[in-house]
Amino acid sequence: MKRIFLIFLGGLTLAAGLLYWTLPEQRSGAPVLYWATQNDANKRETVALFQGWLARQGLPPVDLRIDNAGLEAGSPGGSPKVLVQGVAGMGGDLIDVSTYQLEMYQDAGMLMDLTDDAHRGGFSTDMIYPALRGDLVLDGRQYGFPRQSGVDMCWYNRATFERYRLPDPSPHWTWDEFEELGRRFVAATNPPGTRQRSYFIDRVWPPVLRRGLGLSTYNETGTRCTLDDPRAIEVLKRIYRWTIDERLMPTQQEQQALASDATGQNSAFALFATGRFAMLYEGLWASMELRRLGDLRLGAVEPFTAGFRNALAGNGTVAIYAGTRHRAQAEQFLQFLTSKPYNLFVARIGDSLPPVPAYARSEAYFHPAGQRNEWEARKVFSDATREIGIGGTTSPFVLPILAFRIDNENIEAMLTGLISPEEAARTTARRINDEIARRVRQDPKLQPLYAERKKIQEQIDARRAAGRPVPAAWISDPFLLAYYRAQGWLEKEAAP
Amino acid sequence: MKPRERTLRRWFTGMAFLLPNLLGFCAFTLVPLALSFAMAFTDWDIMRHNQFRHEPLHFTGLENFIRLLGDPQFWRDLGNTFYLMLGLPFAMAGSLGAALLLTRVSRRRTAVLPALAATTLVLIASGLGLLWGGMAESGVWFLFGMLAASVLLAGVLTGGTVYRTLFYLPSFTSGVATYVLWKKLYNPHSGPINFGLAPVLDRLTSLVRTSPDAFTYGLPVICAGLAAAVVGWQVRRLRSRWSGSESGLAAMVTGALTLGIPLGLLLSWQGFSMIVAVGVAASGAAVLIVTTLRRPRPWGRARSADAGLGTEFALAMLSLPLLLVLAAGIHVGPALPALAVSGIEPPDWLGSYAWAKPALMMVSLWAAIGSNNMILYLAGLGSISPELYEAADMDGASAGQRFWHITWPQLAPVTFFIGVMGIINGMQGGFEVARTMTAGGPAGATTTLSYYIFSEGFETGRLGYASAIAWVLFALVFAFSLLNFRFGNRDLSD
Repeated sequence: MKRIFLIFLGGLTLAAGLLYWTLPEQRSGAPVLYWATQNDANKRETVALFQGWLARQGLPPVDLRIDNAGLEAGSPGGSPKVLVQGVAGMGGDLIDVSTYQLEMYQDAGMLMDLTDDAHRGGFSTDMIYPALRGDLVLDGRQYGFPRQSGVDMCWYNRATFERYRLPDPSPHWTWDEFEELGRRFVAATNPPGTRQRSYFIDRVWPPVLRRGLGLSTYNETGTRCTLDDPRAIEVLKRIYRWTIDERLMPTQQEQQALASDATGQNSAFALFATGRFAMLYEGLWASMELRRLGDLRLGAVEPFTAGFRNALAGNGTVAIYAGTRHRAQAEQFLQFLTSKPYNLFVARIGDSLPPVPAYARSEAYFHPAGQRNEWEARKVFSDATREIGIGGTTSPFVLPILAFRIDNENIEAMLTGLISPEEAARTTARRINDEIARRVRQDPKLQPLYAERKKIQEQIDARRAAGRPVPAAWISDPFLLAYYRAQGWLEKEAAP
Repeated sequence: MKPRERTLRRWFTGMAFLLPNLLGFCAFTLVPLALSFAMAFTDWDIMRHNQFRHEPLHFTGLENFIRLLGDPQFWRDLGNTFYLMLGLPFAMAGSLGAALLLTRVSRRRTAVLPALAATTLVLIASGLGLLWGGMAESGVWFLFGMLAASVLLAGVLTGGTVYRTLFYLPSFTSGVATYVLWKKLYNPHSGPINFGLAPVLDRLTSLVRTSPDAFTYGLPVICAGLAAAVVGWQVRRLRSRWSGSESGLAAMVTGALTLGIPLGLLLSWQGFSMIVAVGVAASGAAVLIVTTLRRPRPWGRARSADAGLGTEFALAMLSLPLLLVLAAGIHVGPALPALAVSGIEPPDWLGSYAWAKPALMMVSLWAAIGSNNMILYLAGLGSISPELYEAADMDGASAGQRFWHITWPQLAPVTFFIGVMGIINGMQGGFEVARTMTAGGPAGATTTLSYYIFSEGFETGRLGYASAIAWVLFALVFAFSLLNFRFGNRDLSD
């Protein structure tokens, strides 16, 4: 019996030792860094470029490995696994984050404050688009650097428009123009008595529609959700009309069904290529998908609005995990993201815009070889990012994923006929405001900030009621800041 | 070596063997369990209490539990969980049916398996050929119909091993993989289910258009007739059990509610206010109870007020969904002509609030029919003494009588076990299927309690609140299990 026990114990110890020996850290001659990102050809190419850049800079090699195990493709609020691994001390050294995730991860304390090192290392926010600086900065501190930037625009397939004798959408178009064109397309492609197989556009993004009416998700200081505003109700009514009455676009669940179609990839691209979607609301990265589907004659226009022209801009940011053991090497990677080889690479492949704006005005970006059909659209994306791109809206008092979930759930409930647009707007605002109150009550760190911002909000409201301008420093919402500036509601000395 | 030393050595040796398992149990089960219980009484939030932020943890007493009582999402998700559990009786019936079929198969071994397998392949190839040739919808029907027919035929006629494996397939296939497959099947645009349904619904549309009265009046009349038959049978059975002193008052109330709930829902669907619907349903149930209670009981009173409750509950689980379907038939019939004007569309299975839950139920049903339940029923069937059947044959019992008077009672312990486990799994389940297929939508229609625990714990990081929900779920499961053991066991010993 004892012998059996010892044999098993020995076997298990040996197996543990072998397992330890197989770890990359034990076998690699260089520091091993894990980058939590999607494992695709572009990322692998980025890693190869980084290693070449290190060699050219005379820096010691780094074994950068892609870790996509914790990522969930298509998860709207980001990946819970990345958060859980991060707070448990097991995060990747480099983490891909969206605007909404950055705030959440920073709040959990799992991102490294890079402000001072970024200035020294040349990867500060001065290097990127001014409209997108807020995406990287929280409470005045920098927490990452973009590996790409850009806006979502409306792609259109010229061949589809010609086939159904539709005029091209105008560069700055309105809700009514969208509706009129969409109605004509849907009528032409779905004869009466047949099941609908074609849609005008794959989706719309409610915040952009709201911004067109001058409304943000929160008030100027992020202390209250404003989605019970009549303008939000107007947007919901339009979404209902376009989705249910006019059938210009699929419902959210239909979108999901399309995204899981036969190829396992987002079949909206295939449907766009075959003319079953006239338009796609996506970023420049969509060109990489569309390239595989043939030499499409592509056009792009800015999102249709009801007044205030805007496009949702964002960064694909790389942040450094606070628990990394390789801070210097991780910062070298962020430095590399400002380099010419990397930016020209992004410009060439069209995976959004390069993070350093100068490269988005380069020949490599505007006229990539072999992609003549994208040249025109690329200019539209570049111009829109500079002119009408505005970063995402968040409030420090509510988790972005929670606000997104609540908003989304009520839009779905409205589209399924469970509640009216008015009720959806009321419920969304009430639930988000309840969450704000709960979070402020539970988190002592937030209480002074909330009290301070509430005071500022009262002052803003008083000034607005009196028709007086407001200091720009009082407004924390990037959209409202841009909107106030455009309306001339900011104090002159605060304007840039 | 002294006996005491020997005993100690044996004890240490035994413990050394047990230790890895005990350590694993403590590290991965016991300690997390105790921690989660403690967390349920705190404001633990992974945003504030983690490796990088060390804010003091506050004991919040019952705050999380009190908040939960007023949380509409909790009640909605609890309702969704119970709704999805309505498939349990069908799953049990399906497992029993599969087990009976396979038992029958194994008794009639024949040598035609290769021929049947070849026929199946030829039929599948023909279906694919039709699809390739452009006969999409009819091809899909042909393919699925022939597949089903061949499996059924082969299952009935051949040796069972292959078909036992086929039936058991969902159990050892990865859940997520099958859910992704089902998601494709349900696809409203390119899914084969809607491809198959489309011609049927087109035919139905034309039928409704040509003879709208048959649907406006005929369908509700047929459904009402069937519902009346079920209600009549139920009333007669309830009264007979009461008179025979087999049921107590609790069983009577349960049986009466089984009839009242569909009636109330039907009235509510027809536009009556909730007060009227509940009032009429409650009055009907009360009349039934009062008139039954006044009937004579020649065998004296039942042993207790809860006598026969287990049987009544099991029957309610079967008859309630049936009556609900018939009530839906009564309600939908008159609306069909209006629907037919624009053409009756196949459902948007996962996108419609009304269809999403039934769609997930069907997936679970498919997985449950050939699951461990079937294996348990197969084992149960194998352990029934053949002498009982021989005696029944000698008495001239029909197949139905053999089933109701021998098979079903003999399987009661297995059914009880499957029922208890089914309720436990049902209350804890629904996460994987909803996460993969619907992400809890549309509008939270498929968010179950386990899904809510996940999203509160790991998406928003409120581990304290998530733990409180988990412990309430545990309490519910525990209470249901206690009820099951209390009343189900009593019936078994009967």
